[in-house]
Amino acid sequence: MLNHLTLEAVDADGAAREAYDGLPRSSRMSLLKRALVAGGTVVVGGVAIGGLPKLVTAAPSPAQDVEILNFALTLEYLEAEFYTRAIAGGALSGELLKFAKVVKSHEAAHVAFLKSALGAKAIAKPTFDFKGTTDDPAKFQATSIVLEDTGVAAYNGQGTRVTKKVLAAAASIVSVEARHAAWIRDIAKKNPAPVAFDPAKTQAQILSAVTATGFITG
Amino acid sequence: MTIHEHTTMPAFTLADVDSDGAIAEAMDNLERFADTRAGFLRKSALAAGGVIGGGAALGALAAPAGAATASDVAILNYALTLEYLEAAFYTEAARVRNWSGDLRRFVTVVGAHERAHVAALKKALGSAAVASPSFDFKGTTESEAAFRKTSQLLEDTGVMAYAGQAPLVDSDAVLGAALAIHTVEARHASWIRHLNGASPAPVAFDKPKTMTQVLAAVTATGFITRAPAMTSSGGSPSFTG
Repeated sequence: MLNHLTLEAVDADGAAREAYDGLPRSSRMSLLKRALVAGGTVVVGGVAIGGLPKLVTAAPSPAQDVEILNFALTLEYLEAEFYTRAIAGGALSGELLKFAKVVKSHEAAHVAFLKSALGAKAIAKPTFDFKGTTDDPAKFQATSIVLEDTGVAAYNGQGTRVTKKVLAAAASIVSVEARHAAWIRDIAKKNPAPVAFDPAKTQAQILSAVTATGFITG
Repeated sequence: MTIHEHTTMPAFTLADVDSDGAIAEAMDNLERFADTRAGFLRKSALAAGGVIGGGAALGALAAPAGAATASDVAILNYALTLEYLEAAFYTEAARVRNWSGDLRRFVTVVGAHERAHVAALKKALGSAAVASPSFDFKGTTESEAAFRKTSQLLEDTGVMAYAGQAPLVDSDAVLGAALAIHTVEARHASWIRHLNGASPAPVAFDKPKTMTQVLAAVTATGFITRAPAMTSSGGSPSFTG
């Protein structure tokens, strides 16, 4: 269904590269910074700064699609790795394990799709440190809720910034993130649908929250 | 709770009573409207289920929905029709039966959400808002088994409906609202699926459905028994739901 979204569809003219090149030379680029720059935000000293106003305010374009798809890919890498490690760690059982397995397969499929859509323009996978949240069922559960709710807000925040072709694909992913969020919330005895209108968040807000977790180490 | 279902989206069966032609015709009008984007005033009045004279429709649309196009008006009225259906379903369910436990919470929370969606869409559409159809839920609001199954179908359908329309929306304001509702429908779908012992997230990519596909499925349920009444010139549509 989503195979029609090819590199041609999101053909970039180097917007992300341009942004990357525009960083101060004195700033040593870590992989995290590269990921976040590709996501439209410059991270300096661990604080995400909403940079690149030109990109943020621009109308949808293929170049901007690349930037946003790489932002989405960063989040999907994070989610996929989180569930992969939680399963491998062996701390989960019962319904939590079932949840982790199903959701891991979805996040891996999202990563594969986004990498395929971006082709050579896909950013590399960062390195992660989940700080023990994958080794403890209670921490896993709490972290999963945050990650999935954040995923929903992140995709919803980009809806008006992407071309219609990318929007069609993103719409098919975001509702799955919402299903994950409701599922883990119900498992955790929290309201699966806490509000009538889900909030949208900007890239700067999302990346600030992600940076604050310290999960991305390089 | 065991997860025993990993199939893709369920489909409404066509075996049910076929609704009368009026609804289908009204919905076809909405669809043509969305496809052609022509005849803004005349067709937006038609989509609203009433005749709107002069610039009333334009004035109403300008406010909360931003620069709403004729196509967006059609999409919003389509969404409103689906939300009327969902809101009426849960409102009736809460009235006719004393639910307990998880289902009670679900009916209460989801019913409030669907009514909030109706209110938001009506506000966005102003005088161009279509009136509520009349409904007959054929006992599915009373029988627990039928309620569970029907709720799951309605919520999954809502997800597919919004996903299908999102790329067709012109206005950023309308799109933002639609996306905010879309994922809440997905949360509802996941929730009732979990309560039903079905997989809350059966596939990695939810499938969009076109307006035609969704309306055919809705028509097949027979839940919509009467199209909104046409109102006289200049009057506000009458809301029955």
